[in-house]
Amino acid sequence: MWEAGASLRSVEKSITQERVDDYADASGDFNPIHLDHEFAAGTRFGRTIAHGMLVAASISEMMTASFGLDWHSSGRMKLRFKAPVFPGDTATAFGEVKAVSDAETEREVVCTVGVRRQTGEEAISGEARVTVRRES
Amino acid sequence: MTVDYSTLAVGQEVSNRLVRVDAGTVAKYVGAVDDATALTGGSGEAKAPPMAVAALGLRGVLDDLGIPSGALHAGQELRFSGPVDVGASLRCRATVARNSVRRSSRFVDIALSVRDEEDREVMSGATTLIMQDEAG
Repeated sequence: MWEAGASLRSVEKSITQERVDDYADASGDFNPIHLDHEFAAGTRFGRTIAHGMLVAASISEMMTASFGLDWHSSGRMKLRFKAPVFPGDTATAFGEVKAVSDAETEREVVCTVGVRRQTGEEAISGEARVTVRRES
Repeated sequence: MTVDYSTLAVGQEVSNRLVRVDAGTVAKYVGAVDDATALTGGSGEAKAPPMAVAALGLRGVLDDLGIPSGALHAGQELRFSGPVDVGASLRCRATVARNSVRRSSRFVDIALSVRDEEDREVMSGATTLIMQDEAG
C-alpha cells in the first residue's frame, strides 16, 4: 500500500491563543513566551508563539491516522523547530513516504514530515519512521 | 526554583516522577490539540495519544528543572514503543544528554525515558532547549 512518493493525508489546525492557553494547562508548560503578551512583545518574535509540541502534535495525529496503532507501537520521529507558529496562524502537517523497506513480516516506512504555516513557511521539518505489519 | 544550568552534568538525572495518564488529563490534552484520532486496542481500552505521553514526560522536566522564561524548544526526537492505556501509571525519567554554550546561548539536551508499570519502555526521546546563557 505504501510506496515512495505517496503523500500522507495532511492535517490542518487553526492555532488560536485560546488553544495555546489550553495546551499550557494540559502540558504544564507556562513559559510566558506562549502566554504573556507583554513579555512576548519584548522577545525577538514580538508576540506570543505556540508551543512547539502543540504544533508537532498534528504530525503525530497525521501518522496515527495513516498507520494506526503501529504508530503507537513503533513510531519514531526527529523534528527540528525552525520557525514559530503564531496565534492566528493556520498550520498544516504534511508528509510524504520517502522509502519503504520490507522484511519477512514487517515493513518499515520512512516519511519526510513537517508543518507549514499559511504563508508557506516551514515551521517544523523532520523525519518519521514506522514499522507496519505486512498483510499475509 | 532557580537552577544554575552551567552546573548540569551529562548523565545527571533532573527528573524522576510517577505520573498517571488519567482520563481527565488525556481529555484536556486531546481538547487542546484537537486530536481527531482517538484509538482503542483489541480489548477496547482507550489509548492515550503518543504526544500526550510525551507532554506528560516533559512536564516533570519543566517542573523540576525550572526552565527559564523565554527558553526555546529547538528540537525533539521521540520513539514510541507501545500503546499506553488511559489510566496507566508511568515512570518518567529525564537526564542531561548535552550541556554546551555557543554564541552566548546555552544548548541543553534532555534525554527522556518513560516506562510502564511492568518496567517496559513505552517512550523515549530527546529534547533540545536553547536558553540565554547568563554569562553571555
